[in-house]
Amino acid sequence: MSTPARTANRLPPATLSGREPAQLADVLERVLDKGIVVAGDIQINLLDIELLTIKIRLLIASADKAREMGIDWWENDPFLGRGRRGRLESRIQRLEEAAGLGNGDDRRPDEAEPRDRDQQGP
Amino acid sequence: MSTAARTPPVREGTGWYVYGAVPAGEASVEAFAGVRGVDPSAGVSLIVEGPVAAVASPVPLAEFGAGAIDERLRSPEWLEDKVRAHEAVLEAALRGSAVVPFRFGAIYHGESHIRQMLRDHELLAPTLERLRGAVELGVKGFLDSARFRASREGEGPQASAPGGRAYLLRKQRERALTEDGRAFQVACARESHEALTAVAREARLLPLRQPELSAYEGEMFLNAAYLVDTTGDAQFRERFAALESEHWRDGVDYELTGPWPPYNFVEDDE
Repeated sequence: MSTPARTANRLPPATLSGREPAQLADVLERVLDKGIVVAGDIQINLLDIELLTIKIRLLIASADKAREMGIDWWENDPFLGRGRRGRLESRIQRLEEAAGLGNGDDRRPDEAEPRDRDQQGP
Repeated sequence: MSTAARTPPVREGTGWYVYGAVPAGEASVEAFAGVRGVDPSAGVSLIVEGPVAAVASPVPLAEFGAGAIDERLRSPEWLEDKVRAHEAVLEAALRGSAVVPFRFGAIYHGESHIRQMLRDHELLAPTLERLRGAVELGVKGFLDSARFRASREGEGPQASAPGGRAYLLRKQRERALTEDGRAFQVACARESHEALTAVAREARLLPLRQPELSAYEGEMFLNAAYLVDTTGDAQFRERFAALESEHWRDGVDYELTGPWPPYNFVEDDE
């Protein structure tokens, strides 16, 4: 079943002069995962960022699919929503548990392995 | 040895957020007129050290300082807002000169620390030279399995036999189509990447996005970034359009994004 919305969802080719506003997933993929890592004075818990990135991406994916299908089951229908969303939520939960963030505030940042962001090492 | 890890929490005063580096001789602050930093009340400055300048803006340490920022990072809305601001500043930089994008979150206590960082990263200047006159374009390829199957109709064994035999033939045909689809994705990814690489300065294959993290219905089989001459852009798009029309009937949807600051063409070891 091919929906017209699917084609509409695809961006027209971007131009070098006048571009479409970039899709959030593409921006996240670059700003958070790419670019050179320099050691700033403030240490950021990069694990926090990774988890947040996943959450934001899931939100985008859900919202876009719902719009595409013309329904918002993921918000309003707990029964229909269980299938896909449930899997995603358990995925987040697994990641949070693996990261030691399972109990919300009961979090110990020092447990999280910070990525090696200091390029001035030995 | 970095002293960063032992910096005590600072919750007042002003720090600097650094977006990237530009060639000092070519960049000008005018390129950033009207552009807001990650703190929307502040504009963008250039902090020059030798041949290189940092693109930076002041940030309140009450929001971006040690400890404070970890709290903010729990909010997807906050992060989205700041990530988009980071991108907008680098896009403005890209309109004026080459730029080496930094990853999100390079925050300093003062201008002298930024100058030190610029001195420490000796490869910034040669990297800017390498990136001169080029932008990054992103290309993704998706396969719509319904359209792919439709394009393969009439090939292979026909399920015209009666009863159970027809069922078995159908199952067999299903399996064959799935395998064909996979093989097609591999071949098409290679063909597309080679065709686009030929009209780019440099190319990088990126990890495919997991289906649940993608906004698209089709299966992603290509995710790549190309460093393209701003003058050779028309040629790149011609090649892209040719791929699009060649493979539309096979069920392929391509997506072209950019121009981006060359996030995928700067290495971590700089």
